[in-house]
Amino acid sequence: MLSLVLRGVRAHMGRLILTVVSVVLGVAFVSGSFVLADSLRSIFNQVAEDTFAGVDAQVRAVEGDLNSSAADELRFSDDIADTVSELPEVAIARGGLLAFEKAYSIDAAGDVVRSSGPPTFTVSWQGPSSVSSFRLLDGEAPTGQQVALDANQVEAGGFSIGGDVTVSMPSGDPEVFTLSGIIDFGEGGSGGAYFLLFDLPTTQRVLGAEGLVDSVVVGAADGVTPGDLAAAINAVLPDNLEAVTGDVVIGEQQDEFGSFIDIFGNVLLGFAVVVLFVSTFIIYNTFATLVGQRTRQYALLRSIGASARQIRSMVVWEAGLVGIAASAIGLFGGLGIAAGLKALFAAAGGDFPDGPLQIQLRTVIVVVLVGLGVTLVSALAPAIRASRVSPLEAFRSGGRPPRSLSFRLITGGIVFVPGVAMLGVGMFGNPGSTSSTLALMGAGGALLFIGTSMLSASFAGPVTSVLGAPIARLRGVTGEIARGNASRNPQRSSATATALMIGLALISGVAVLTQSILDTFDEILEESIAADLFIFEENQGLEFSGLVPDRLAELDEVASVSGYSTVEVRLDGEVVSATGFDSASGTDVVDMGVLDGDIRIGGDGVAVLDEVAAERGYTIGDQLSIEFEDGYTQQVTLRAIFDDAAVVENDWLLDRSLTRAHVNVDDVAFVGLTYATGANPDAARAAVEAVITAYPQLSVQDNTEFRETAEGQIASLQIVINGLLVLCLIVAFFGIVNTMALAVLERTREIGLLRAVGMTRRQLQSSVRNEAMIIALFGSVLGVLLGLLLGWAAVIAIPDSVVRNLGIPWTQLIIYVVVGAVIGVLAAWFPARRAGRLDVLDAISTV
Amino acid sequence: MARQTGKVTPTETTVAPAVAARNAVKVYGRGDAEVRALDGIDIEFAHGQFTAVMGPSGSGKSTLMHCLAGLDELTDGHVTIGNTTLDALNDRQLTELRRTEVGFIFQSFNLVPTLTARENIVLPLALAGRRGDTAWIEQVIDTVGLRDRLSHKPSELSGGQQQRVAVARALACQPSVIFADEPTGNLDSNSGGEILDFMRRAVDEHAQTIVMVTHDPNAAARADRAVFLADGRIVADMADPSAERILDTMKSLGS
Repeated sequence: MLSLVLRGVRAHMGRLILTVVSVVLGVAFVSGSFVLADSLRSIFNQVAEDTFAGVDAQVRAVEGDLNSSAADELRFSDDIADTVSELPEVAIARGGLLAFEKAYSIDAAGDVVRSSGPPTFTVSWQGPSSVSSFRLLDGEAPTGQQVALDANQVEAGGFSIGGDVTVSMPSGDPEVFTLSGIIDFGEGGSGGAYFLLFDLPTTQRVLGAEGLVDSVVVGAADGVTPGDLAAAINAVLPDNLEAVTGDVVIGEQQDEFGSFIDIFGNVLLGFAVVVLFVSTFIIYNTFATLVGQRTRQYALLRSIGASARQIRSMVVWEAGLVGIAASAIGLFGGLGIAAGLKALFAAAGGDFPDGPLQIQLRTVIVVVLVGLGVTLVSALAPAIRASRVSPLEAFRSGGRPPRSLSFRLITGGIVFVPGVAMLGVGMFGNPGSTSSTLALMGAGGALLFIGTSMLSASFAGPVTSVLGAPIARLRGVTGEIARGNASRNPQRSSATATALMIGLALISGVAVLTQSILDTFDEILEESIAADLFIFEENQGLEFSGLVPDRLAELDEVASVSGYSTVEVRLDGEVVSATGFDSASGTDVVDMGVLDGDIRIGGDGVAVLDEVAAERGYTIGDQLSIEFEDGYTQQVTLRAIFDDAAVVENDWLLDRSLTRAHVNVDDVAFVGLTYATGANPDAARAAVEAVITAYPQLSVQDNTEFRETAEGQIASLQIVINGLLVLCLIVAFFGIVNTMALAVLERTREIGLLRAVGMTRRQLQSSVRNEAMIIALFGSVLGVLLGLLLGWAAVIAIPDSVVRNLGIPWTQLIIYVVVGAVIGVLAAWFPARRAGRLDVLDAISTV
Repeated sequence: MARQTGKVTPTETTVAPAVAARNAVKVYGRGDAEVRALDGIDIEFAHGQFTAVMGPSGSGKSTLMHCLAGLDELTDGHVTIGNTTLDALNDRQLTELRRTEVGFIFQSFNLVPTLTARENIVLPLALAGRRGDTAWIEQVIDTVGLRDRLSHKPSELSGGQQQRVAVARALACQPSVIFADEPTGNLDSNSGGEILDFMRRAVDEHAQTIVMVTHDPNAAARADRAVFLADGRIVADMADPSAERILDTMKSLGS
């Protein structure tokens, strides 16, 4: 039995190899996701351990329930370090201050020195000591008006030890420091981040945090365990501070990296699942065709005594071999993918610390299960069909009649309808959390694809016939033959087209969503934004100093200016997010659509979104209590009700004179301003830009530029997503190659006949390519239509603040259909060549 | 009739035969495994002649037909169809020659399953991008009695009907020669007889040249001439053969 299987595998090696390829892509992606995530996790775990190797305990602030600031921005008095160091259990205690994306070095050309991805940290130098995370590579430790930088930054900025380094200060004009030395983080695992190190007093001055630290790192005296050390420190700490052991810090650090890596790994896995999903159709198709072609062989085996079970296991074994081969190749292919992605990040500026790629046993098991499982499941139906071949069919020529139309309509409908229903519930219903909505819609989408694929077999015949009509008209009888061949086996055509359909449906769906987001964005720009200029951090939308709007307000050319920041407050007993803005600017900068009251709410006022006001029964003039993260509480008066939170993003508005006084760090997310009446726009802009030169990380943009920036960012996101989805198209490509190769083989005799009665090689090849093009066109058109449906579903499911208008990018969609057709033509290239090379005489005499 | 044959140099003969082979040699394999399927055959097929080629299995009759029809290449010697010598032609030229100068009727699987009967009949013309002689095509369709079956696919036709479509296709482009390879081999005697009638009529009424390979003495008896092959050589050439004489010859050849 096994030798028969092996012989079957050998005889159909070419086709099985193509099938293996389509499984390999998906499997390799699964393996790559695991390998990359495991490797990164192991590297960063090591980095965390190295970094805090000398830290036995750390003192930090206890997070409250109002967390406007990041945890590491919760600061406390630097006196604590002295208190702690007096304890007998303590050998060394150093206060430290750290912030990211606040100060930057500026090179000789006046450009900010920063890497495109990883952040730039401002850190106080605690060394040389056992508790420092940094070590000096060259030069000396920074003191006074000195700075120490990492080697990458020194190289990027062209700095040299003893030379000047201009540093942009978060709170004012840039200052010149002297480069004292070059430092390294931990054991060199900075992940591409940049560091500016000052001594503690200078760090406090740079960050505007005089007398404050955010942590105290402690080394234990001889013989004191970290647990005892932490307990001893906790005994002398006030309530708002706590001491934890170094292991806790390391663990938290590792968890933080871990959760980021998990998200990243899961996104990759998601794409892998899509690719595998697409390959199941290819595998199914290959085995279905192989079984069809071998019907007589199975019938012969049955007539000489093979049981139905034996026939079935023959097919299953063959699929199993394909699955194992694919898993093995995919496992190692995953190493390549992981290495490739790492290299890609490195090229993008993220410099991962070196470490070996990790293949864990779990990865091997998952990959083999997935590769084998996907192949076996896909080959199951063909295997069952093979086992149902009756011995009589050995003596009958021609295949069995295909399944009836109604059978396909019923089974397809059974899958399709629940798919639509699940999508619908996800779109209009309220299944609870966002993740359950997405899960529901994902499952609905999968069923939609399977259902459409099954249903499409029932209309693939007539539709391909219609799609092929122009080709038949254009190319004469060769086109007619192509069209006939494309529609002669609707089940196969539809299964072949399915892979392309899914790939293009996802790509078109993303295109529709992207267009919708841009349309929504345009509408927001149109309706809600009145500003002449915007100032923001372009790369990652990072927050920046709240002093920027103050400095801009001083300009004569500027009429209204406002910064916008988000704070967490307890309002009327409930924790809510509120936007702080300069309410004196009213609706000049952002028009939030005031329905009632005066939006110039002032330092003792508050404004609320109409929906929230209606829900809670608030009216103008209500007195509400408000509490900030620093514990400050006061009464505010409800002065305005507005209806457009698209730009301000929160349901509540407060004046920034109130919010900035009670947050740890006075930052804003963006600043908008209008020109003074009569001011020359060019001159006004120049004046604004002159102020902003002190903050080299910031961009100044008007509406048009803002729109272009958003478009560029969305477009690059779309490119990344499409880059991953292209894998589906590659699988689809191999699927078409496979089907066409099988079709050519199946029709060898017919091809011989055509050639004998006068079809030239060229005509034959063009007819094979056209056939593939018609099938591909069928898949593309279906895919784009499904993509429209999915895009529409996404627009409805995603909150209106992100996207509310359905935008249809017609040009792109038409291009996708054309791309699909081209994929078909290209995929048919080799099968067509092979058909052309068939010897006429051999072909005719094939039985 | 010699059109569409490209840059072919015609051999200068005055009354050229429809098809001729000169010193045709076909060798398969090499050394010990060498098989001489055709061992120096000289033969001419005159215009308007219906010739049956007979011989035991392995005698070389199919190889001869394939080489004459331009489907296979000779190892040595020449084949001419009309005024065209085949050995100078490349694949494209051979294909175009087959399309216009040669008609085929195979034993089975004669038709393209995705095309209708009419499309199959005009297939060689359509491949050449020509309409052909419409009146003649209509006449052929009527002759073989397929008028009411024209829009049917081959799968909807009986074996005999399929074979009639094949005959109509061979006749449709008025080729220099029609090669028929056991055209009645898969048919019952009634249908087979009909096919032979059509072929006979094409020869008698329209001076069509036909070369038919067959095992069947009764089919061969309908021809004007019967040629017998054995071991790659012509061993007998009989004019106006009858079934009895054919059987006698076959017996003497030991098949």
